[in-house]
Amino acid sequence: MLNAIWVIMMFSGIVTSLLTGRTKEVSDAILASCSQAVNLTIVMLGAMCLWSGLMKVAEKAGIVDALARLLKGIFRFLFPGIPQGHPANGAIAMSLSADLLGLGNAATPLGILAMKELSGINGNSPVASNAMVMFGVINAACIQLIPSTILIIRQQAGSAHPSSIIPCVWIASLVSAITGIVSAKALERVSRVPGSKAEKALRHLV
Amino acid sequence: MAELLSNAAIPAVFLFITVTAFIRGVPVFDTFVEGAREGARTALNILPVMVGILAGVAMLNGSGLIDIMTGLLQKPTEAAGVPREALPLLLIRPFSGSASLGLFAEQIEKVGPDTFLGRALSTIMGSSETVLYTLAVYFGAANVKNTRHAIAASLISSYAGMLAAVFICRII
Repeated sequence: MLNAIWVIMMFSGIVTSLLTGRTKEVSDAILASCSQAVNLTIVMLGAMCLWSGLMKVAEKAGIVDALARLLKGIFRFLFPGIPQGHPANGAIAMSLSADLLGLGNAATPLGILAMKELSGINGNSPVASNAMVMFGVINAACIQLIPSTILIIRQQAGSAHPSSIIPCVWIASLVSAITGIVSAKALERVSRVPGSKAEKALRHLV
Repeated sequence: MAELLSNAAIPAVFLFITVTAFIRGVPVFDTFVEGAREGARTALNILPVMVGILAGVAMLNGSGLIDIMTGLLQKPTEAAGVPREALPLLLIRPFSGSASLGLFAEQIEKVGPDTFLGRALSTIMGSSETVLYTLAVYFGAANVKNTRHAIAASLISSYAGMLAAVFICRII
């Protein structure tokens, strides 16, 4: 999927730039994006070390397990196929809590850790499992209690009530999360895993 | 209260984890370094993914394609009740975090933060995520080549949330 999207982005961008005569802007933007990627990685490198280290400590101390046990019911519905007591449960719980609290710099490293745990359960296959897709979709729905960056920008723009949008944000995030969960569950059957039983059966029919 | 919660969250988590681990006899610092080393490796593994995604987004932005798309989609979206001014943000939001934040900051100055439009734009930003980037980084870190329905489901979820944002701001 990303292969196709990437080619489409490149192709449509370059063709448009030829038509609009903005080739210089595009070449500047491409080169700038490389250093932007390095900057982002360096910023994340420290946070990633910090949170991975702390998660390891939490794991060894049994805190991650305890958190996972609290959320067992929801997880069994959202991520079927994760063995009970597997560290992935705790990693997902930590990552979603960081999302909820709006801890941007902590949320990404924790999310990556959780995704790697899920990948381990999936035998590190290059094909995503249902649980991995569900986790990605829930993360992309961005459920957070306080959208702090947006509130700061509103304040700077001279808003009389910067935080008045918070209830709207909650409802919209909820709509987004529920739609995401429903569509991920619905599309599970459509998007086949190559080599799975469903696909073999289908190939047999065709 | 809300601000206090999000400011105190990180120190509180740190304190809780380290103290609990220490009491339970975990070699706290050694374990931390072991985990941090894995984290460093993961972060470096993501760099190539990030370069690729950001280069693609840069082309879309720099070429003016977003502006052209906005022009094309203006009529149908306005008929659906989405104000024209919100369209560029709706188009760019799932793909580029920095571009959408810049666009948002610029537009909110123009329309005023407490107008319907200003609140709708704020809600769109607050309730959505840079879908493509998030998924590329997460799946890239796990070395997944085939993400199956992740992008489709995330885009559906993202647009449902952003459209809901516009309508909620009309009511509340």
